[in-house]
Amino acid sequence: MEWYLIGLVALLGGSCVWPRLAREHSVAAGWLSALVPAGIFVWLVLQAGAIADGKFPVWSVEWVPQMGVALGFRLDGPGLLLSLLVTGIGALILIYGGGYLKGSAQSAPFFGFVQLFMLAMLGVASADNLLVLFVFWELTSVASYLLIGLNHQDETARKSALRALLVTGGGGVALLAGILLVGAVGGSFSLSELQGRGDLIRSSPFYVGIFILVVLGAFTKSAQVPFHFWLPDAMVAPTPVSAYLHSATMVKAGVFLLAKFLPILGGTVLWHDTLTLVGASTMLAGGVLALAQTDLKRLLAYSTMSALGTLVMLLGMGSDLAIKAAMVFLVVHALYKAPLFMIAGVVDKATGTRNTTLLQGLGKPLPILSFAAALAAFSMSGLPPFIGFIGKELLYEAEMGAVHFSILLTTLGFAANAVNVAVALKVGISPFRGKMDMPQINPKARRKGLLIGPLLLAVTGALFGLFPGWLGEGLIDAAVRDIIGHPFDSSLKLWHGFSLLLAISAITVIVGILLYVYLDRIRSALILGLQRFPSGASEQFDRLLSSAVAAAGRITLFFQHGNLRLYLAVIILALALLTTAALVSTGLPGWPENGPVRFLPVGISLLMGMAGIVAIRSRSTVMAVLAMGGVAYGVALLFALVGAPDLALTQVLVETLTLVLFALVMRKLPRIDASPEAPRGRGRWELGIALAGGLALTAGLLAVRAAPLPEDLRVSADMAAWSLPAAHGRNVVNVILVDFRALDTLGEICVLAIAAIGVAGLLLGSGRRNVRAELAVATPLFRTAVSWITPLLYFISVLLLLRGHNEPGGGFIGGLVAGAGLILKRLTHAERPLHAGRGPMLCMAAGIAISLVSTLPAVFSGLPFMQGVWLGSVWLPLVGKTKFGTPFLFDCGVYLVVVGACLLILTRLIRSEDSKPLAQQ
Amino acid sequence: METIIILLTGFLFSCGFYLMLQRNFTRMLIGLLFLSQAANLVILVLPGLGTGISAIVRYGATVPPPGHPDPLPQALILTAIVIGFGVIAFAIVLLKKAHHDLKTHDLDHLTETDV
Amino acid sequence: MSDPMREFPLYLCLLVPLAAAIGQILLLGRCRSQRVVAIGSTALLTVLGGMLVAAVKAGGPVVLDAGGWAAPLGIRLQADMLSALMVAITGFIGLCGAIHGLAEVPTSDERRGYHPLYQFLLFGVCGAFLTNDLFNLYVWFEVMLLSSFALLTLGGGKAQIEGAVKYVVLNITASTIFLIGAGVLYATLGTLNFNDVAVRIAAGLGSQAGIRFAAVLLMLAFAIKAGMFPLYGWLPSSYHTPRHTVSAVFAGLLTKVGVYALIRTFGSAFVAERDFILPILWTVSLLTMVIGVCGAMSQFHTRRILSFHIISQIGYMTLGLALGTAAAISAAIFYIIHHIIVKSNLFFVASVIDRIGGGENLKRTGGLYRSAPWLAGLFLIPALSLGGIPPFSGFWAKLALLKELFNANAWFAGAVALAVGVCTLFSMMKIWAEAFWKDRPAEAKEFRPVGFAHILPIVILAAATIALSVYPSWLFDLADIAAQQLSPAPNQ
Repeated sequence: MEWYLIGLVALLGGSCVWPRLAREHSVAAGWLSALVPAGIFVWLVLQAGAIADGKFPVWSVEWVPQMGVALGFRLDGPGLLLSLLVTGIGALILIYGGGYLKGSAQSAPFFGFVQLFMLAMLGVASADNLLVLFVFWELTSVASYLLIGLNHQDETARKSALRALLVTGGGGVALLAGILLVGAVGGSFSLSELQGRGDLIRSSPFYVGIFILVVLGAFTKSAQVPFHFWLPDAMVAPTPVSAYLHSATMVKAGVFLLAKFLPILGGTVLWHDTLTLVGASTMLAGGVLALAQTDLKRLLAYSTMSALGTLVMLLGMGSDLAIKAAMVFLVVHALYKAPLFMIAGVVDKATGTRNTTLLQGLGKPLPILSFAAALAAFSMSGLPPFIGFIGKELLYEAEMGAVHFSILLTTLGFAANAVNVAVALKVGISPFRGKMDMPQINPKARRKGLLIGPLLLAVTGALFGLFPGWLGEGLIDAAVRDIIGHPFDSSLKLWHGFSLLLAISAITVIVGILLYVYLDRIRSALILGLQRFPSGASEQFDRLLSSAVAAAGRITLFFQHGNLRLYLAVIILALALLTTAALVSTGLPGWPENGPVRFLPVGISLLMGMAGIVAIRSRSTVMAVLAMGGVAYGVALLFALVGAPDLALTQVLVETLTLVLFALVMRKLPRIDASPEAPRGRGRWELGIALAGGLALTAGLLAVRAAPLPEDLRVSADMAAWSLPAAHGRNVVNVILVDFRALDTLGEICVLAIAAIGVAGLLLGSGRRNVRAELAVATPLFRTAVSWITPLLYFISVLLLLRGHNEPGGGFIGGLVAGAGLILKRLTHAERPLHAGRGPMLCMAAGIAISLVSTLPAVFSGLPFMQGVWLGSVWLPLVGKTKFGTPFLFDCGVYLVVVGACLLILTRLIRSEDSKPLAQQ
Repeated sequence: METIIILLTGFLFSCGFYLMLQRNFTRMLIGLLFLSQAANLVILVLPGLGTGISAIVRYGATVPPPGHPDPLPQALILTAIVIGFGVIAFAIVLLKKAHHDLKTHDLDHLTETDV
Repeated sequence: MSDPMREFPLYLCLLVPLAAAIGQILLLGRCRSQRVVAIGSTALLTVLGGMLVAAVKAGGPVVLDAGGWAAPLGIRLQADMLSALMVAITGFIGLCGAIHGLAEVPTSDERRGYHPLYQFLLFGVCGAFLTNDLFNLYVWFEVMLLSSFALLTLGGGKAQIEGAVKYVVLNITASTIFLIGAGVLYATLGTLNFNDVAVRIAAGLGSQAGIRFAAVLLMLAFAIKAGMFPLYGWLPSSYHTPRHTVSAVFAGLLTKVGVYALIRTFGSAFVAERDFILPILWTVSLLTMVIGVCGAMSQFHTRRILSFHIISQIGYMTLGLALGTAAAISAAIFYIIHHIIVKSNLFFVASVIDRIGGGENLKRTGGLYRSAPWLAGLFLIPALSLGGIPPFSGFWAKLALLKELFNANAWFAGAVALAVGVCTLFSMMKIWAEAFWKDRPAEAKEFRPVGFAHILPIVILAAATIALSVYPSWLFDLADIAAQQLSPAPNQ
């Protein structure tokens, strides 16, 4: 088995290597690259004996055990059959392709993708693990997509490729679901094991589901009705691709899958009825539609579709004879269809057309080709002594021996075979008869590489017909045996004696010839009849696709409308709904606990409420800003009143800064009035949503307050207890900030720094370089006042910093005060240009660095990261006894960052104002 | 008293939501500010307001006096205030830049990147 | 007991980006040095992340109580397998972004502080992944968010500003909701530490109403940040506007932090609330998957298609979470890692398509199959992976998820997941057909050359995808460990 795998790897390597060569030397690339598949073919032939005896080459290695996927290969009878087809025809196609695509830009990608495809197909044929099979299955779809799109500049090619991908991909997805189900039911993903557990799966409640899903996968791949339309459209691909993928190999994968699943899913009424019905319909539809075509390749495509239908039908019938017929037909079909396709390609190259009504007289310039064509055509028509004859006989035998509907099936088979004859004659004989219209054919068509494939395959068809035993023993026997589960002797014979079968065969040929003779009339009648249908399946699929995309677009636009307010409304509504759901589902809460009511906070709350109303109703946005400021200051007052001095100070300072920012920004915005238009009624929905959100939140908050956790159970109880003893600080809040939860503060100062950098980045480049501070406050009086105040502010800020650990204060508040001082100072220096320079940035960086550094002494002392390392205590005037350590250093870093950030934001903002001469008093 | 403050926060939330749904960018920012103020209040009020005594250990004691508001939410709110300031500062400057570049502060007109 | 040998990768993962950020501020103006620092620090972060993963694999979660204060008093930094994986991938994507930024970010952006902001972003993301404290998570979210605000607006184009407005406002709202949730949680349970929350809920502490209210608020906030339906509006409005490097890093990392937060909160801390929360998450995930892919199918702008994909794929990840079993969460974790690699890669490819393929409007691009076949191959790898084609990493991710869905008899969800996968493939092939196969139209934007730095990240990430595709079991192992470490409850 190792050789086989080496061969697969060689194919993978080849897909990278040969395209390079093919760019210049396409023909040589064809011959060289064919060596690997030829080698694999030889190896496979050598294995035939062992497989016939039941000794299957196996190889397995764990791949993804968590998913139950082992990279396992097991070559059984059907696998051998398919592999021989893939490699044998593949080698010939590579040679053919090299000659066909010589000089074309498609040559290089052709070699790459075809070898990948070959690898994938061989994987499908020999995989033992269903998921591994699926991997290769999807790879064939992808390779097919890329190959159909070789003519990628043509829009029809792109569309056809997409159609094929979507249909086979969709089927693939169904197959995956089916595989997962069958694996769950059967307990393993290994095909060989599952094939032994068929009864278990058939009797499971999931059987129908598994069946439908697997069968969907197979039907889409093998172009059964109603998924057939991608196959004729795939004919836009270059002929070597069509000959290989879409007649001999890829489309057979679905049939192969059904064959492999027959022991697992087959034998039930569902299996029999579905497959026979669909297969027969496809057989018939393919035949009828074939007669309506004038393009050589489309003719062959529809006839392939019909053949695939036949195969599915046979597998559906399920009798030993039917399976034997199916396996034989598999080979037979490949042996005549592939050469006919290749010949069609040569004809196209020779004359530049594929129109069957125009082609004639090619027998003289292309004698060998016409010989091969004739052989293939006779095989397809089912004439003795070709293998096609044997295949047809088996077909009739199986149909007549069917348990149900034998007459119907035989009739349909008869019709299909008759059509086959007509098509065969039209493709293989008709273009070579008569006299040519053109003076000369394209010499490119004479390349030797183009002949070998058709000739070899057609002759093989004849040889197998004459000596069917070569095919029978070993290959067909083994294939059938591994499907039906018990040994089988196929005993293929050319001559069965005079019998009903022979008679029917003969009549078929005669009817076929008649069809051929009257083909033109039949075709026109069919075309007329088909016009009754508004559009073909392809167009309907396209329409379905585009309406799906359009629907997707409408849905997207509905939700992604771009209106920020609607997005916000949705969030608020979601908040309200979820909160209500949460509250309702946990039952009615009691009434909240309350502390003592004090007059002042209640009064402030009322004032804040009024400010809120002002903010909503005022027409001027400036009023709204001021109202918001009022609310914020009110909050600060509340903080002070409930006993949170640090909070109150910070809130006041921050809110002042915010108002200053607003003031600076709003100077430039024109007088903004209340929302334009807003007729009365329109404001309702906003009000409604806002109320909904607010009410829901209130209810939730009240419910939470109804059952608060007792204080001693909270984490803060420990914090309060350890603040002085362990963390050497009296101001518990500050201790939390710089010690217990210093990591929060570290992030917080980074946020400030980021905000400052972001603001600076937004404003860089706007405004002039040396703008002077033109706020009209630079009067001498102000300047004097400021020059007294600022040192005081600096002093206070340092004091706050030093005090913070034990009294209200700390790095933030100190930094904000210092920042205020610095700004005032800057504002008064009207002579000096107000450029921020790198000072604030460096200040911020230094601050973060100091805070960062303060976390490290612990690490170097073997303590956990960020732990406080304390030095001694010092008595400072106005501050008291303070213990110094790394948390203090941390606070200093915070101080510096706050200073730098405020400075940066404000100076950049002031600087960015265009210099507008305000009244200089 | 906590109930009254909670009702206040609920009212502030409603004001904030209403303002956020306005077409004017500046008003929307104000709405966001209302929201953040209310959120800060929520963090403070839910565990219970104190009686006005700050959470600072007096000289001679080892723990803060009883009746102080929970110090942890205070620290959280302080962090939230400062972070909020950073965010709002950026948002305000963005407002300025948006007005300058997009020449509008009507939010309903900002649909270029979506359609 | 503090074990310095095991701990140092943990806090260094925080200190390295922070120190780099400080350095970048100090180096403002010296662009070359800044670039060196950027690459150096992200490479170091990747290495540290890898060390962290190895340490957790060998000896269990690495825990560090910041400041020496035992949790829940202090803030605990905890690197379990999930955190370690996320930190490692953050470093990796950060490195790829830094390399790509070498070529793409103009000096004007660098002078406005691109590099410090980039480092701060990584700092915030790492902090979010490593912390075990809810409020600390809020702080890291803000660090990350504000950095992203600033990075979004760097360059100052009109589209950027407009996108930024929506991004900023909606994310600030989400942060505020997060804050309220934290407040409610503290009032109800008295602690902010995730592990402690789980312990206290299990011990019966706290009112049911409060716990559920907090859970709902947190879910809403994280859902907005993760980009779930119907709260995702900010994402497609903004992700396609900034520099390509920034888009790629955002796409790979930022929304995943939201998903991570959801997993951390509802996969371990609020496990008791799952009966209420998970059904909501389930429905929303399915809707997210479908609506997201609708957007991807109908757009014609490369980055907008990719942005909608992010939304759709987020749905897959949260679906795994919503299933609730450890195996499903493990599948979700695998999905996250796979998706980060693939998504960032696709954004980098989109950047190259923009330069040499004719722009970002697919109607005006084309001809790349002929002119840049190497790009075609490099595009196909992440594109097919995203579409779930085997044997690429996306297939394994979807397979793992599907397996769990089927195990739980969730047939409808499985069908939706598969159908959305086909639609995803369709939208990827649309980019392929328009940008690569189709001929280059006349209205294409002019050709701009691409350099080594443009391509290297694509190659690196494609190699990572291939490695993951061929040998996914190592990540499955790690994801399993991560899921086990998350839930204190036994496997369901």
